[in-house]
Amino acid sequence: MGTLAQQLINGISLGSVYALIAVGYSLVYSILLFSNFAHGGFLVIGGYICYYTLTALGNNIWVAGGLSLLGAGIAAVLTERIAYKPIRERTNITLYLLIASLGMSIVIENIFVIVAGGRFRALPPVIPTNPVHLFGLTTTSAFDLLSLVVAFVFLTALQLFIVKSKWGLAIRAAAFDLKTAGLMGINVNMLISIVFFVAGVLAAVGGIFLSVRYTLYPQLGGITIKAFVAAVVGGLGSLPGAVVGSLILGLAEMLTAGFISSQLRDLVVFSLLVITLLVKPTGLFGKKPTEKV
Amino acid sequence: MGYIGGIIILLCINAIAVMGVSLLTGFTGIFTLGHAAYMALGAYTAGILTVEHGVHWFLAIMAGGLLAMIVAYLIGIPTLKLMGDYYAIASIGLVESIRLILENWQSVTRGARGYPGIEGFTTLPVAVAFFFVLAIIMVNLINSRYGRAFKACRDDYLAASLLGYNTARYRVLSLAVSGFYCGVAGALLAGFMSFIQPVMFDMMKSTELTSMVVFGGLGSLSGTLLASVIITLVTELFRPISQYRMLIYGGVLVAIMVLRPEGIMGSKELWNLRRKR
Repeated sequence: MGTLAQQLINGISLGSVYALIAVGYSLVYSILLFSNFAHGGFLVIGGYICYYTLTALGNNIWVAGGLSLLGAGIAAVLTERIAYKPIRERTNITLYLLIASLGMSIVIENIFVIVAGGRFRALPPVIPTNPVHLFGLTTTSAFDLLSLVVAFVFLTALQLFIVKSKWGLAIRAAAFDLKTAGLMGINVNMLISIVFFVAGVLAAVGGIFLSVRYTLYPQLGGITIKAFVAAVVGGLGSLPGAVVGSLILGLAEMLTAGFISSQLRDLVVFSLLVITLLVKPTGLFGKKPTEKV
Repeated sequence: MGYIGGIIILLCINAIAVMGVSLLTGFTGIFTLGHAAYMALGAYTAGILTVEHGVHWFLAIMAGGLLAMIVAYLIGIPTLKLMGDYYAIASIGLVESIRLILENWQSVTRGARGYPGIEGFTTLPVAVAFFFVLAIIMVNLINSRYGRAFKACRDDYLAASLLGYNTARYRVLSLAVSGFYCGVAGALLAGFMSFIQPVMFDMMKSTELTSMVVFGGLGSLSGTLLASVIITLVTELFRPISQYRMLIYGGVLVAIMVLRPEGIMGSKELWNLRRKR
């Protein structure tokens, strides 16, 4: 019973970190209708900025975290400006954007391979990972609880931004129809930059937590594939779907690791993808992606 | 046979795999990051059949291609019915799943340390013959009714379905054929290296295949083949500075998409460069 509760908490905690990544990916997908494979790069950039600020400026997680979020946000905006803007202004073929995003993900990963080296780095111990006893029922790590709380705070902030602010309204309009939103006087380039900035910031938060959990290395961005799967399970382009999908994925992964075999956890993730596509291809909350002719 | 012969065999193998990806990405407009998975399926099928069951190598290669084709078809049915990036995401999942299965199914695949002792059946004539036969089939396929349907799905799937094409069916068909080509290429690779390992067929290999197609031009078979020759040779020449190779790959991919998304050749073929002009 204790183990089950512990695995459930682990799963929700891991799922909430996936949710941070999946929501950013889904946000970009909902506006530009392509899978931004460079999204994993933003997470790695966030992780490395956090690592280097922590080692250079002493162990102040607030400064390091702030810089890392800002840096990853700016990197995301720059990626969009350099690689995607010229393409989306000329054509609406999303295949080109996909290929460019693949290129950017390779570039970002290999910049870190060359500059920082391929080795695994552990973040200085600024985030507590000591065990916590919950009401005498079960033991869990403070880190798991912390990542759950932080993810919840950021996702709530995003929800408020989307629902309450003027730019949030613009984002919702653009997700419905980008062209018409532009015709209604929304500054589309500004809007896309904001979306990428938000996606980069959320990815950096996820990146910091993932680099505490798994240590930091240039290929850490590969984990975003699980966030992509989560987004499909929840429904491509839907933000609540991305969160729910991530939680399901985190739980499935941790329960498999805890009770069956830790080698099978990734296989379970991908079987979940295949099952979703077979049973309900639009995901839990997705809109129908096919047009009637 | 020597070094030069080895490189020619490698060129033929890469060219076969790249033709498969070219059909899917270049002619049908579907993005993939998982074609190394089909190569892995072909390679392990051929390896296991020849070593453990004493099957003739030619039948083993065909079996490898067919298994890859069947898997591609099964993956294609749920993912390609929908517009959107479903196949792109599933393809990454596929390549990871195949790697995991190969690494953990010890009794059959001998795990992560690799599968040794495959008979070296891919000699120079075999590789060249396979390349020419498959290339001729591909050229004919692209210029056939089916080829035109694939291109129609790529350029405007709405218009294509208005004309009565079952676009989902053609997309799945294109994926199955491209899976077959990659399966055969993988089987030939197994016969060339005599030793295969799950790590040979990772995401990096898939990325390389897709890059070759993009460099050569989306929708140009000869451009793609030219690019696969150039990239295979460049990879051989620049082995000493291989850590920069991927960085350059990525940069060039972005640059091509931004500056000249048609690639080297655009949608023209070598053999009708002059006629079109």
